[in-house]
Formats: sequence, structure tokens, C-alpha cells
Amino acid sequence: MNMVTSIILRRMRTPFLLLIAVYSVAILGMVLIPGVDDQGNVWRMSFFHAFYFVSFTATTIGFGEIPYPLTDAQRLWALVTVYSTVISWFYALGKILSLIQDKAFKEAVAANKFKYDIKSLQQPFYLICGFGETGKAVVNSLTEEHYRVVVVEKNENNLNALNLDELKEYVPSIIGNASEPDILELAGIRHPMCQGVIAVTASDETNLKIAVSSKLLHPEIKVACRSEFKDIEENMRSFGTNHIVNPYESFADIFSMLVHSPSLHLIYDWLTGVPNTTLSDPIYINKGPWILCGYGRFGRELYKHLKAQNISTVVIDPKKSLKEEFDLDEDENRFIIGTGTDHKTLNQAGISSAAGLIAGSDNDSNNLSIIMTAVDINPHIFSIARQNKWNNHILYSSLEHQNIISSDASVNFLTMHPREIIARRIRAYFLTPLLENFLNIARQQDNEWSNITISRLSAVVGDSRPHVWSATINHSTAPAVSQALDYGRTIKITHLTQDPGDRKAKLRCVPLLLIRDNQEILLPDDDIEIKMGDELLFCGTYQVKDNMHWTLNVMRSLNYVMSFKDEPDSYIWRLYYRHKEKPKHRKNKQ
Amino acid sequence: MNLEKVIFSFFMILALTLNFGFFYGDVGNPDHHNIYELFAVIVINLVATVLKFGDRSQLGAMLLATSLVAVVQLISASIVWTFVVHVQETGMTATAMATIVSLSGGAFLANIISVILLMMEAAMLRH
Repeated sequence: MNMVTSIILRRMRTPFLLLIAVYSVAILGMVLIPGVDDQGNVWRMSFFHAFYFVSFTATTIGFGEIPYPLTDAQRLWALVTVYSTVISWFYALGKILSLIQDKAFKEAVAANKFKYDIKSLQQPFYLICGFGETGKAVVNSLTEEHYRVVVVEKNENNLNALNLDELKEYVPSIIGNASEPDILELAGIRHPMCQGVIAVTASDETNLKIAVSSKLLHPEIKVACRSEFKDIEENMRSFGTNHIVNPYESFADIFSMLVHSPSLHLIYDWLTGVPNTTLSDPIYINKGPWILCGYGRFGRELYKHLKAQNISTVVIDPKKSLKEEFDLDEDENRFIIGTGTDHKTLNQAGISSAAGLIAGSDNDSNNLSIIMTAVDINPHIFSIARQNKWNNHILYSSLEHQNIISSDASVNFLTMHPREIIARRIRAYFLTPLLENFLNIARQQDNEWSNITISRLSAVVGDSRPHVWSATINHSTAPAVSQALDYGRTIKITHLTQDPGDRKAKLRCVPLLLIRDNQEILLPDDDIEIKMGDELLFCGTYQVKDNMHWTLNVMRSLNYVMSFKDEPDSYIWRLYYRHKEKPKHRKNKQ
Repeated sequence: MNLEKVIFSFFMILALTLNFGFFYGDVGNPDHHNIYELFAVIVINLVATVLKFGDRSQLGAMLLATSLVAVVQLISASIVWTFVVHVQETGMTATAMATIVSLSGGAFLANIISVILLMMEAAMLRH
């Protein structure tokens, strides 16, 4: 039996029993007590009349003394009936109302609804465990693209913040510990439509448990995890977790892109950001030494990259033990003990001649203070702030704002939001897996390539971040194109990038990557011929994505962009045309 | 001894015995079937039904089902009685009485099944 009905039945047992008892005594009394009819004869109510009388009395409707006026003896009993039945009804109603208000009952109703929601999900969906800052960012970016998600979160307060009105899709959610397999099961991990599990709870341990259970419960689905510790990351990798995001490593990676080439960083930022948001400006960093405040997990990752780029760096950290460790590895004495929040340490580190400063401690107030002090000494310094708590973003953005105004409008401030970085990586991984490949190859190109690419991109995208989408040439995802290929026709990339509404116009998009037989072709040329099984990555506006969809899926549109005549859709007309245009058809086949 | 079990069994067996009392006698003879007894049977059956609410076991579900059957049969019988006496105003006839008694016979059967299930449960608990 259903949990909710069962609770109602069990809780309503006493009120129902009471009502039955009171009603039966009242009815029996009315039947037994003799009355008088309009002729003065002795008249007894039948059970039917008594039930009628008690029913309208108990519900306080009160039609009166029917069919004949009551005798005093009957009135006496009617008094008893009124008080006992009305009170019983109030008691029963009160029980029902308190049951509806009851927390356990509400939870049962919510759980029931959640179960129903999951069962009735017909579209592919992603299961997101943990609705903290990162989880929110992931949910936002996936629903923005109209993907369905299901949320599991331990903390009820966090879930209350799930403002359903602001999201573009309905998000079923459940309160529960995602490290428990039965909660995952309830949330639909075994559901055939479940595409992937995203474990972004605050605890690495929990994420690890989620990854293990997902791989056991539904081995085919993709699992992406957030992890901050190397050993847990290794553990996750050992049983085939598909994608592990370490916010520090990821930021260090982005940082090295930035130092390597501002255009490359811009390409990354444009392509991985949430579509339709405003484009960011390029960031230029002067050559020169850097100062790194905070030598924790984050600091170490960045130091590795700075060292790899041969940039001389001074490290500031208050922990003495870290200095000993650092001095063992490095020859030069470039470790200063201190927090970096005061003028003295910063001057000692050479702030006035430094190109950049990283405030990378795990304390937001310290980081803000470091940057304010540093900018005070050297207004042209480029500063990177690690933001730890999401609700401090107002402080960071106002600092950013002040800095931009103070120094001739060029960007010289960058905030590292862990949640933002993880959300971007996970979004790219699930929605456009080819993007990762593209960025990996792009990283190996020189600065000039990045500059050319960014100018190509800015020509097509306009002033907001582009959509990135992939197209796989096979019968299910591109039926029109694959059918035409079966006919033996030659289709080039240029055909796909033509507007199916007006073939003389070009769609505003850039083909980023072509994967064919495990070979990756970066920025493929327009006249490359498409083959079956090709995977293509494009970027452009959402409108363009939609237009290209027509060419890929609808024969009529494809014929139009390829300047062929319309082909008849129905079987008989096709036979007729084939008969009529035999010579031409053969020519095409060759 | 469990008081809940005592009350539960009491109402179920009382429902059966009262039902038998009403059912027993010449099928078409109104003198053999007392209206107060029918009233008591209905009330006791309702109580027995409500007592079975919320039991989530398989046996509990079966018991609830049999009780619901009995209640439906008995209420149909009382509606027939009301209809004949108050709507048609023909007074109790032998045909109507036979209908009422046979309906209560169905309820009687359902009550027997209830009690058998109850005994099975008790026997199983012994082991």
C-alpha cells in the first residue's frame, strides 16, 4: 500500500471509530425513543429517518424536527446527539488538519511526489548530488540548456533555496544523504534515462562513495566528481570515474593558459562560459616576477605552473613548516613567512616591481586585505584572488570594480571562484565532450594561432558568449545527411554552414573540430568532405544551432542548401520521379 | 496477552456471529429477521473495518478487503430495506426480505473468510 494512504488510514483510525460509535448510539436512541405523529399517534423513527436526522444534526446543517415535531423525550436525546456528534466531527476534522500539517506526513507526500516525478521522466536527465554552491551552478547551467536534472541534497535549507521559478526546467529534488545507495536508487540512478551522475558535495569522501555506488548500480552511465585531494582522486580514477574536477588544478590550468596567451584564455572563456552572457574582455599580463600569497593546495598548483613557465616567484605564507619544505626543494631563498596583508612583507617580496600577485589563502578577508594593500603600493599590479565562500562575491566584485576604475580601464583583476570553474568543466564534459579535445589541441598551438582564432570567433558570435554544439554524422542524429551520403552525394562542411532559409547566406558559426577515425582536425576547412561517422564541433549563436539542425535532419533543407531539387517524400511519388528523372539520378550516383 | 488483539478479534467474531443471527431463519419471512440486528451488524462491521486500517502486511490487506466486502453487502441490504419501506411504501414483502437476507448472506460469507484468516494468523504465530 502507498505510504501516504497508509499514514492517513492509521492516523484516522481513532476519529473514525469514535464517529461510528457516536453515530450508532445516537441513531439507536432516536429509533428507540417513541415520538408522536401529526395525528397524535405513537410514532417511532425508522433507522432511515434516524440516520437522516443524526446526519444533518452532526454536520450542523440542522434541517429541523422532521418529519414530525419531536417530543420532549426525543429532544433530550437530540441534545445528547448534537453535542456528542458535533464534537466528534470537530475532533476528526482537527485530526485531518493536523495530519496535513504534520512533518512526517509532508515528507511522505514529498517522497511520493518525488518517486512519481522520477518515474515519469521521459527525457534524458542528470543526477546531481550536492546542492551547495557548485551544485547550484551546475544545475543552472544544465537547465539553461533545457537538460533535465534531479537533485539530491543533505541539507534541507540548501534545497529551499532551489528557486524553481528561476530555472528553465522543473527540477525534482529530495532531501537525503547521497552517499547512501538507496537514496541514489530512489533518485533514479538505475532509471534508463539517467545519463550521468555529478557528485559535487562538499566532502570528497561522499563524492567518492557516490562514484563507487554509481559505477556499481548503473555501470554504463558517466560519472563526474569534484575532488580536492590527490589520494581520493587516485581512488576515484581507479574504478573508472569518467571525469574528476579538481578546482585548484583546473584554475592553475586556466592560469597557465592566461600566462601563455591572453587569446587562448579568451577562447577558453568564451567557449566554456554560460551561453548568452556578456563576453569577457581579453586580459593582458605584463612580464615580470610574481608574488604568491598562501602556499596551500591552491598555491602549490599555481607555483608548479609558474615554475614551468620560468617565471620567478616569491612565496609568502605564515606557516614555518612550509618554508622548510619549500627550501628543501628550491635553491633560492624566496619564501617569506607572513600573511602578506601588511606593507612590510609585500615590500620585502618586491611588490613595487612585481607583475602579478596571487592572493591564494583559504581566508577571504585575508585575500581581500592582501589585494587592497598591494594595489595601494603598486596600482598597476595584476592581482588574482581566490574566493572561498560564494556569499563573499559582492566584496570581490566591488574590489574588482574599484580596481578597474583606478587603473585606466584595463582588466587587471581576476577572481577564482571554485564553483564557477567546476560547473564549467562539468557542463563542458557532459554537454559538449568534444570541447575538451578542442581545448587540449588549442593549448599546443602558438600565440599567433590563438589570435587568429579569436578574431574568427569574434566575427561570428556578436557580443554574447556563443553556444557550442556537436554534430555526429549517423542515421539517428543526422538522418538527412547520412541518407544523402548513402546516395553517394558529396557533402562538404560548407553545406552545413549555409543558411537553410537562404542558401546564399552563411550561418554565423565556426567549425572548431572534426574527428574522423580518431584523427582530430583543428578548425576544419569549409571544403572538407563529410563522411559517415564524422564528429563535428561548432560554435555560434543558438539560432544558428537551430538552423543547422534543419540541414542535418530534413532532406528538403539539405537539398536546398546543396541546390538540389526537392525530393518527393511519399513512396509512390518517389517511384514516379525516379522513373521520370532516371538519367539525372544516375549521374548523381557516380 | 495483547489487548489490541483481543479487541480486534472480538469485533471480528462479533461481526460474524451477529451476521449469522440476522441471516438465520426463513429467507422470505420478515418475522425471522430483526432490523435492530441488521443495524448492529452494520455498526460492528464498520468498526471491524476501521480497526483494520493501516495494517501494511499482506494478511492485513486481505482482512481489510473481506471487511470492505461485508460492509458493501450489508449497506446494500439496508438500502434495499429503506427503499422498500420508505420510497415504494409497500411495506416489507417476502421478495424484498429474501433480497435483504441473501445480501446479508454474502456478507456472512465474507465475515467467515475474515475469521478464517484471523485463525490462520493466530496459528502461524504459534509456530
